[in-house]
Amino acid sequence: MRDLIKMVVVLLVICTTSGVVLSYVNEATKAPREYQYIKFVQEPSIKAVLSDYDNDPVKERLKLVLGEDEAGNPIEIVVFPAKKGGATQAIAYSAAAKGYHDLIEVMVGVGPEGKLNGISIMTHTETPGLGARIVEPEFTDQFAGLDLETTKLSAEGGKVDALSGATFSTVGVITAVRAALEEFPQIKKEIF
Amino acid sequence: MSVVKEFTKGFWQELPPFRLVLGLCPTLAVTTMAENGLGMGLATTFVLVFSNLLVSMLRKLIPGKVRIASYIVVIASFVVMAELLLQAYWYPMYKALGIFVPLIVVNCIILGRAEAFASKNPIILSLADGLGIGLGFTISLTVLGGIREILGSGKLFGAAVMWSSFEPLGFMVKAPGAFVCLGFLLGLMNIISRRRPAH
Repeated sequence: MRDLIKMVVVLLVICTTSGVVLSYVNEATKAPREYQYIKFVQEPSIKAVLSDYDNDPVKERLKLVLGEDEAGNPIEIVVFPAKKGGATQAIAYSAAAKGYHDLIEVMVGVGPEGKLNGISIMTHTETPGLGARIVEPEFTDQFAGLDLETTKLSAEGGKVDALSGATFSTVGVITAVRAALEEFPQIKKEIF
Repeated sequence: MSVVKEFTKGFWQELPPFRLVLGLCPTLAVTTMAENGLGMGLATTFVLVFSNLLVSMLRKLIPGKVRIASYIVVIASFVVMAELLLQAYWYPMYKALGIFVPLIVVNCIILGRAEAFASKNPIILSLADGLGIGLGFTISLTVLGGIREILGSGKLFGAAVMWSSFEPLGFMVKAPGAFVCLGFLLGLMNIISRRRPAH
């Protein structure tokens, strides 16, 4: 019996200590991890979807609160503004939607009229050779100049041609871009 | 003297991937480039040194029946820590190593050292053991990665080192290249140690 209690106590203490220490490390590395994510994952995409600016969109990023979700938590969004001579020319922000396998994260660049400057796929886990072709310029370039009205499959009256054999992935990207564009009027009020 | 002995044994007599022939999964998987081998080795060394330290500190407190479970919790905690630190300060390496960082948990070198050495020896010796084995592992992975990188892509640590007309052997950076390279290094080490018998 004493052995049993000792075993339980020792394991309990080890696990609790481990939990406490890890949550501390998690908190302590949160800011640098966020920074690294922005620098290595988001920054290349931000540069790809914005053009003609003279500021540092990453340094001047803004955190906006767009209402609340069903659970009452604030919906936050990070916006990267591209400025020239102090005036905001366009903004970049990200949105995600489910592709064939998992979430596809898309960075969109949007001008003041709500037209897309361009899009760039940040992370995805689509099938190599099929859905993974969503990252290729031949696909992403078709989004330049589109707005909420035209960001649809060409079969549904829009201007986006689906990748053959990768309809789910294409629809995932379109859904993410549309979600981003639907938020635009709200963001526009705060930025432009 | 014995501290020095425990430290240096990791570099030849018990050189992990070649002598102990343990921890082969990361050895084969991540050594496509010298830099990846170095990163993997350093992450493993970090986990190994701290898990050895803790296991040695707690060796009299942990009851024998739950020792493996306790070691795994200790090791897993340091692996998560290593992963968070890599993610925060060396992001490209974190991306390059991918799944193999969390998999350090099941690297048998680490559990092996905890069970075979740290649980029976004092703290200083366990630290020397962990550091020696860890650095030996790092050097082995870096050398293996270096050979594969030079032959497979004509570079070393990302810088071109071969003559311009050199045609890279794509085979070397693929999985079979890892086995072939490991086999040659193992054979080479056996030849050397046969000439110079261990005492």
